This record gives sequence, C-alpha cells and structure tokens, in this order.
Amino acid sequence: MAITSSLVMDQGVSVAQGTEPPPVQKPVHSQQPVDFENDLQPVLTRFGCTSGPCHGKARGQGGFQLSLLGFDANFDYEAITKEGRGRRVFAAAPERSLLLMKPVAEVAHGGGKRFEKGSPEYHLILNWIKQGMGRKVPDAPSLQKITVTPAATILRNNETLQLTATAHYNNGTTRDVTRLAAFQSNESPIANVDEYGLVSAGTITGDAAIMVRFSDQMAVCEVTIPRPEPVPPAMYAALPRSNFIDEHVWAKLERLHILPSDLCSDETFLRRATTDICGRIPLPQEVAEFLDSKSPGKRSELVDRLLLEPDFADHWANKWMDLLRPNPYRVGIKSVMNYDHWIRERFHQRMPWNQFVKELVAARGSTFRNGAVTLFRDRRTPDEVGTLVSQLFVGVRLECAKCHHHPFEKWSQDDFYGFAAYFAKIGRKGTGVSPPISGSEEFFFAGSSGSVQHPVTGATMQPKPLFGTAEVTADTSDPRDVLAEWLTSPDNQLFVQVMANRVWADMMNRGLVEPVDDFRATNPASNQPLLDALGNHFRDSGFSLTELVRIIANSHAYQLSSLTNEHNAVDTRNYSRHYRSRLRAEVLLDAFEDISGIPQSYGAMPAGTSAKQIWTHRTTSLFLDTFGRPDPNQDPPCERVPDSTVVQSLHLMNSEKIHSDLLNKNSHAAKLAESNQTSTDIAKELYRRVYARNPRQDELILVAELLDAKDANRKQVIEDLMWAMLNTPEFVFQD
Amino acid sequence: MARQRNCEGTTRRDCLQFGIGALLGTGLVDSLRVLGDSKNTGGPKATAKRCILIWMDGGPSHFETFDPKPDAPTEFRGEFSPINTAVPGTLFSEHMVKLAASLDDFAMIRSIRHNQGNHGAGNHYMMTGSPPRIPVGCGAFVSFHPSMGSVVAKELGNNNALPPYFSMPQMSRSGGPNFLGARYAPFVVADDPNKQSFKVRDVALPKDLATTRFDQRTDLRSKIDKMVRLNDEAAADPVAAFDQYFEQGYNLVTSPEAQAAFNINQESDATRDRYGRDSFGQRCLLARRLVEGGVPFVTVYDGGWDHHQNIFPTLRKRLPEWDNSVAALIQDLKERGLLDSTLVVALGEFGRTPKISTLSGQKTPGRDHWANAMSVLMAGGGTPGGTVVGATDRKGFSAVDRVLSPENFVSTIYHKLGIDPGKVLYTPQGRPAHLVSDATPIRELV
Repeated sequence: MAITSSLVMDQGVSVAQGTEPPPVQKPVHSQQPVDFENDLQPVLTRFGCTSGPCHGKARGQGGFQLSLLGFDANFDYEAITKEGRGRRVFAAAPERSLLLMKPVAEVAHGGGKRFEKGSPEYHLILNWIKQGMGRKVPDAPSLQKITVTPAATILRNNETLQLTATAHYNNGTTRDVTRLAAFQSNESPIANVDEYGLVSAGTITGDAAIMVRFSDQMAVCEVTIPRPEPVPPAMYAALPRSNFIDEHVWAKLERLHILPSDLCSDETFLRRATTDICGRIPLPQEVAEFLDSKSPGKRSELVDRLLLEPDFADHWANKWMDLLRPNPYRVGIKSVMNYDHWIRERFHQRMPWNQFVKELVAARGSTFRNGAVTLFRDRRTPDEVGTLVSQLFVGVRLECAKCHHHPFEKWSQDDFYGFAAYFAKIGRKGTGVSPPISGSEEFFFAGSSGSVQHPVTGATMQPKPLFGTAEVTADTSDPRDVLAEWLTSPDNQLFVQVMANRVWADMMNRGLVEPVDDFRATNPASNQPLLDALGNHFRDSGFSLTELVRIIANSHAYQLSSLTNEHNAVDTRNYSRHYRSRLRAEVLLDAFEDISGIPQSYGAMPAGTSAKQIWTHRTTSLFLDTFGRPDPNQDPPCERVPDSTVVQSLHLMNSEKIHSDLLNKNSHAAKLAESNQTSTDIAKELYRRVYARNPRQDELILVAELLDAKDANRKQVIEDLMWAMLNTPEFVFQD
Repeated sequence: MARQRNCEGTTRRDCLQFGIGALLGTGLVDSLRVLGDSKNTGGPKATAKRCILIWMDGGPSHFETFDPKPDAPTEFRGEFSPINTAVPGTLFSEHMVKLAASLDDFAMIRSIRHNQGNHGAGNHYMMTGSPPRIPVGCGAFVSFHPSMGSVVAKELGNNNALPPYFSMPQMSRSGGPNFLGARYAPFVVADDPNKQSFKVRDVALPKDLATTRFDQRTDLRSKIDKMVRLNDEAAADPVAAFDQYFEQGYNLVTSPEAQAAFNINQESDATRDRYGRDSFGQRCLLARRLVEGGVPFVTVYDGGWDHHQNIFPTLRKRLPEWDNSVAALIQDLKERGLLDSTLVVALGEFGRTPKISTLSGQKTPGRDHWANAMSVLMAGGGTPGGTVVGATDRKGFSAVDRVLSPENFVSTIYHKLGIDPGKVLYTPQGRPAHLVSDATPIRELV
C-alpha cells in the first residue's frame, strides 16, 4: 500500500525585491484559437460570473446558471451555447451576444459592469464566438498544475510584493495566468492580496497563506512578516529544550523575531495540566503536596500520575463523544448508550488509536451488542458516512465535493463518491430509525449488494481512497476492512497528523491547523515541521494518546506563562506564550461540585457521576447548557462554543442552584465554618480549592479581616468568598 | 404551562440559552474581519425598529382562523361559520371576533405556500427563509441557516443592558443562530409570566439573597480578582470578553430599566386582564414590555397547533383566548404609539389539510399537515392595515392568487427592519450564504 499525501507544497523562500506592476495580458488576436476550457472559462471565473452569489449558485441568476467556479466545462458550455434560446451567443452578430453585452453593461445586468468593452477579456470572448464557439480547440493542451512565484516569502511591515501565477500544461508549455487567477489571503490583516495578486503586508507580525486559484488548480504562497527588530540567534540557542517540540516552536519564533514568554509558575502548571489531562481541578491536598515538593522532576511526575487516572479516560472520551455521538431521539436511547459505552471503554483501556478507528469504521453486529455500529445506524447512506470518516480521521472536508468541485481544494465529485463507495455494501437487518423513539435493534454486516452512483454521469463508482491505493478485490468480503487498513496505515501521514493536531489544539488552545479538521494545501499549518514530528512521534509510539499528551505536557512550550513579554502580545498562533481558554462546561461543573462539596445529580445516572461521564447531551443541566455543550439538533451537531457569554456570567452570579449548593448545610463552606480552623487555614483551604494555589500575604490579610471581624458570621463570610471567587476569571479560565 | 407536544411527541425543553453579542472573545484578526464585513451595509430604509413574532407551533388551520371556506362542502368547511371583518368582503372564521373587527389595523397574507410538510422542515423554512438542505423528518431538529431573530440580533444589536433577541418560553427548533454563533442565540425566558412567582432566570438575585449582601459580594469580588489582564488588544485575551460580560450581567441585574422590563407586575390589573390571564396572553404583554425596553426581536412561542384530532372542540376553547390576546397586543401597541414602528407577525410552519379526516387509531377528526396554503398575520411597522394579500382556491387547497414563498415573507420582515435581505453572509468556513436567496419583499406590505 503506497500512500503519498500530496498536501505538501513546494517550499523555497525568496525575499521580496520590491514591487512590479501587474502584468497585462496581450489581447488575443482572432487568428489565435480560443479554447473554451483553457481561455474562456477562466475569464468567467476571474470576473465573478461563476461565483456562489452569481450565476454559480444552484439556481443560477436571471435564468442563467453556470457551474460553481467553472468546475464543470460541459455544463457551462451547454448553458452558454444552447440554453437561453440562443440569445447568449449570436454567431451572426457576435457583438450582440448577451455574453458580451451583459458583462460590459451594454444591457441591464444585475451584476453590473464586470469588464470594459475593448478589454482583453472582451476580445477573447468575441474571438471565441467569431471562431464558431467550439467546445474544444483540436490538440488544446490540458492544464496539469499551477505554481505561484514566490512560493514563500518574508516581507517587512507595509511592504508589497507582486505574485505571479503560472499554468503548466501537459504539452510542456507554461503560461502566465496572473491576470486570470483568483487570489485570497487567509489572514488579510497580516497580509492582504488584491485581485491582481499584489500582496501588501500589514502592520502586524505573523504569517498568512495566499491562495491562488486558476481553473481547478490551486497553489499557495506563504508570507511571513517578522517583527522589525531582529533578535540575536544566540538568544534562541540559549532557550531550554525539553523535547523535539521546543526545537520546532523556537525555530518558528526565530523566523518571526519573537522570544517566548517565561516558564509558568508551579501553581499555574498544576492547574493547567490537571484540567487539560484529567478535566478536573486539583484538590487542596494535591496543591499543598505539589507546591511543597522539592523534586526537580515534579512536573513530569505529575503528568505521569495524571495519565493513570480514570478521569483522563473520561475527559478525553467526552471530547470524542462530541464528535461521534448522535441524537438519541433519532437512533434510539439504547444504541447511543451502547455507543457511549463502547467509546468510553476504549479510552479506559488506553486502546491504540489505529485499533480504535479500525474497529469503528468496519464495525459489524447489533446495536444492542456492539455500540460502534451506531455510527452506521445514524449515518445511513454511503455519502453521509464518507464525509464523517474523511473529516474526522484524515481531516479532509468532502461535503463541498458532494454537489460541486471543492472550491479550495482538488477534491471533485469523483473523489467524493469514490470514497463513499467503500460504504456502499453495508448490509442492514432489523428495524431502522423511526424518530423520535427508534428503540429497536438493528444489525450491520458485510452485504453483497449496493453501489454508489455519480450524480452527474450516473456511473457506478469503484471504491477509491483520497490518495494512495486501497484496492477492493473480488475476494474482499467487506470493503470497509480495506478502507480501515488504508486509514490507519503507518504511511498515512494525515491520519496521525489530524489526531496530533486535535490533541495539540486541546492542550495549546490553538491548532497547528485551524479548523482542526480542515487539512488542505490552501490551509497550511502554522508550523508544518512540528506537525510532521508530532504525527511521527504519535505513530512511532504505537498510536498512543497517552504518549502524545505526555510529550506535549512535558515540552517547555506547553509550560510557558500566558503573560506577554515585549515581543509576543501580537502572537496568537505560534505558541510564544500559553493562550488562555475558558474551561469547558463539564470541567467547570465538576469543579463547582468539588468546590461546593454538594454532589450534583444527573437524570438516569447513578450517584457520584461526574459531568464528563454523562452519556447524552439530552441529560438536563442548565449549567451545561449555559456553558455550551453540543446541541444534537444543530448541524453540525458536534459544535461546542468556547466563547464567554453574558448568560454564563448571569448564571454564576445568580443561579438558584449554585446559590443553594453554596449555602447548603452540608457544603464545604458550612463545614469550614463549623470547624475551629484559623482564618489562615481557611484562607489556604479556599484558595487551594478554587484557584489551586496558596493565598498571598495580602489575601491572607483580607480573609482574616473578614473572618475575625467582631460580629462576623463565619458561614456567610466563607460563602461570600466562594461566590466572589467563582465569579472571577481566575476560576473560569485556564491560565 | 403544560409542555406542548407535536404529533411526533417531542418537546424542546433544554435549548441553549445564550445572550448578548459583542465583538469580543475572538482574536484581533477575527474582529477586523467582522468590522470589514460590516462596512457596506446600505440596507433598505427601516419602517420598523422591532418585531414581535408569534410562532404558532404545529401549524394552525387556515380554515378555522383567517381563511374560512363557506362555499366548500361540509367535509372541507368544518364546523365553524364565517364572520365579517372590518374589510367588506373579507371573512374570518367565527372565533376571530376581535381581530375581525380590527382588520383595519393589520394585514393578512393568504397565499404563502411551500413544499415542506414536516414540522422540522416547515419550521426551518418559515423561521429562516431558507429551505432545509437535506430532508428533515418530523422528529429532527436540524438547522442550516440563522433564524430571523438571530440575524436581527446581529444586525440591529442591543440598545441597552437588555439582550437583543428573546424567545419565550423556549426557542423554536430553528430559532437559533446557526453559523452566526452562540452570541446571537435567543435569551430564553422559560418561566411563566402568568404565575405569581414569575421571574426571569438568573437575571434577578436568588430569592433569599439580600441586595446589600449582593453588593458586599460584588465589592469583595473586585478585591479578590487578581488575575493579570493582557492589556494589549492584539493579545486577544479572552478574559477581556469575560470582564465585559460580567459587567453587562451586573448592569442587567442592577439596571432599574432592565429589571422593570421584566417586571410584569408593574402593569395594571386592567391591562393584564385585557391581554388574558393565561401564559400566552401574559407572554404577549411581556413581549410588549421588552420591545418598549429596547429589545429589537422577541419570539412568543405558542405551541400546540398540531390538530390531527379533536380539532373543533379544541379550537372552540382556544381561539377566543388567542384572538383576544393578539388583538389586545396590536391595540395596546397602537394606543401607545408604538405600532407604527413595531412589527407584529403571527404564523406557524404551514396550514392544514382541506379535507377533515380521522387518523387511524383516533376517535375524533382533525386536519393534517398542509404546506400548500397557510395564513400569516402581519401588523405594524408600516404595514398597510386592511390589506389582504393573495387568496386560496374555493376549497382552501392551495394558494392560487399572488402565490408567495417563505423567502418573500422573510424578505419582507428584513426589509421592514432595514436589513438588506439580499446580503451575503459568510460562514466561519468562508462559504457564502445569501441571507435570503430570493430577496423580494411582498410589495403590498412595504
């Protein structure tokens, strides 16, 4: 099995030499044959005719419909030459063709004037009509790829650079297509690009990817804008390196002339690692022990200890539940519960990731006995399963290619339906879904019939992977087994990189690729060498999640302070400091339970259940709803919102439930008040419990003043302190 | 209030409850992008500043409300008789007494039709103006496009401490923000304003917490809050957003105006009686208080219009109360001089089958889902009173005259609120999406 991911672009850095004016293409003379695909279609795309808001949308515009971004030449040819009662092109009077009069606004055009009469584009279309409006010029070469020059560059603030786009054809010829190509920046405030390919660096330090599209081909120019003041290389050489991660992070920062923040404090590290690895806050006892420990390796010892906890499994399983678990109203309660159990059990076993994915993608059996088949109960057609599997496990978003060629990628409908064809022969027995109950059992097995048709050509699709080979032969009993092998093959770079990127994003609060499941050449990683190395490490460790978390948590980069230095306030994607994040809903609710001392109870769950063990988002919890959990009714159902909202602030401030738990006679506050502990001890207990740190001197004094006041109501003072602390960002955020 | 169920038996109790939007909590780059997006928003001239949407979930019968068919055979006509309205020649069904008498003050659209006969899909189409992209079954709640309320929250924003989009007592299935993001989800007021104990969740202090103690707590909080803020805006510190939201929340709790908007007890008994002493009537009254307080979009979700069985006895009891509450809302807004700038809309996801039938397993007759015809009420915000747009055929099968689409309906709402229905939105993935794909408002109403 050979797999080569073609997502790696040509690298090669050149430094801008100043600016050139955009080249103007010479008018095409009538003697020169105009090819519909090579010459005319690019004009329609360049001037926006085929764009989504105009004629490219599914209903067309004003009765004239073109394929989105011109990816379907036959369709567009038909639309132009045969539809519209022949008014769009007039062989007898070419200048009177609507295809010319509309874009130059000689007749009313909803899209306004797109180009000038007499412009090169105008003459090109005119000549094509005069030459007889052929579908193809005999021996016309076909486009192989495009390149952009330079492919990578370093610019100073406010500097500009003209890009050049070159088309390469199968007869070995090339052509400058800068004027016809479309340009788009993924971070326009950092580096903007105009419609002629002129890149302008902004005033911000950072990097941007400029996407260039011509016909169905893309290329990317990576633009880096370092800080103006260089930093001596010796300063980077002197930075500590705990493992390979630091090497790669520092290398990137050196390119940007940014120095990282200092190492974070022990107390910050303790809370950060405990919330990231186990999804809980440290207990007061743990805080005291960790801060008192004199062991030089105490940070990595903590990481090792946390990785053994059951909370580690529940926390990380909870994240995957978001992505996999369907709405129980749709597929049935028992199927969802079994699915949850199946996923959770594997995280508790620390099952290697390749095995997890293999078992899931090729799952067979009953929804009552093998929870994994619930995936196929929910996603009932090959195209539905195909999009989920490609997005989750190789980070390829194929949905666009279901209806049209992917606008920013090479994926076509052939790719989409070829991939979906692996799921064509899934056999089903039993009772299908019948919302809102769907309680019955359903069986899934390797069936013998079923196929996927291309929606345009009607051809039956053979199973085909997105890259590399994964052949289904006559003696393949279930094509999904072949797909599972292909997905989890050690050669499949995307498989390991997507998981590495997800885990990295969870811990560093920003993915190397963002969105984390959108891997494309036109959406480059902020640090590709690091992503390569993380993926390789994950694979070489036997696809071990534990090891992936460990190597990240032990890196110096993970342990940086969130506080900015004079260099790095502007950095939000290169990990020169730790990026703060709000704790997720389940972590916050479990933390509140730990702080109040009053157990939460959840419907249909035994006492002592934590929020991250809940098996369905249908379980009623105002708190979890308020802080955001996936809404199974939304599309996509896995979305989780990390934002703060005013409703969250109001809930922490005024919720009757939070209030009554704090005031409960069995609460930690009540017990502390009844104890004969001194104000210092109480202050320590409170600060360790809520903030996972010791109180500072002024904080000890503040608590003492309140508690030791003459007519102080100890219970009320402690409740008020807890309320105040819960409403500060130091509780809600991970620092 | 009893939870209202549709034929598929699902309820939607635990919707997301999010609130006020702001350009915070995202990175600088995102903020700039959003600012860039909002630069060219030359929308139509607004004739309405706010909108109250009365959502009749389940799909009300057009026959028994605003589009009676007295000339149709009995099995179509039903048990109710037609009555005259303030507009000569236009008839309503017999229980729409007060609305019939005041048709001068509002308009009816009788010719919207679409092709989505399931609750989930019909709700999506009418709430968003966008047809669902994939089949949405009865029990499914799937959303592909932002709802009118969320779009208005984004475009018009909030004027004061109050969130810009409310939904009571729940969010309708497709009433959410979809790709606009959680900050544009409705602020849900679940509790029943008809109850003595009514209060808005989390907006008022806990019952047994004295105001003085709350003041002491917030004072204490400011002393305890020591987390260092990253002051450079470029650092995109999410704590900055948190601070803003805490302050907004605090303002909401302590703002007399905001608290007053929620305090329905400030209304006289006469006014409360006028709207009707039931959950729906009091929610209409609360909606008026909220829009008076500056909220641009309020949805009053009114469930239980899915009358597959027992339709006539049920409606005989329900319609007079409903008629009274909606008429009271329109008249009260008019008397307060607010109707000119306040749009009131009432509709459900579709109409109901012309032929009365008894479903298997049922003992009493009803009408089933029917998307070929429906009636929509629209008042205020520059809507010419007494206008009746379009018509259905003699038996009420289908809109036949001046046939309109959900797109036309939603475009009309946006147009009146000064939002260009033809604008293009971008999803976080950069995919362009038309706000409404056919951005033609209903010309008779604008």
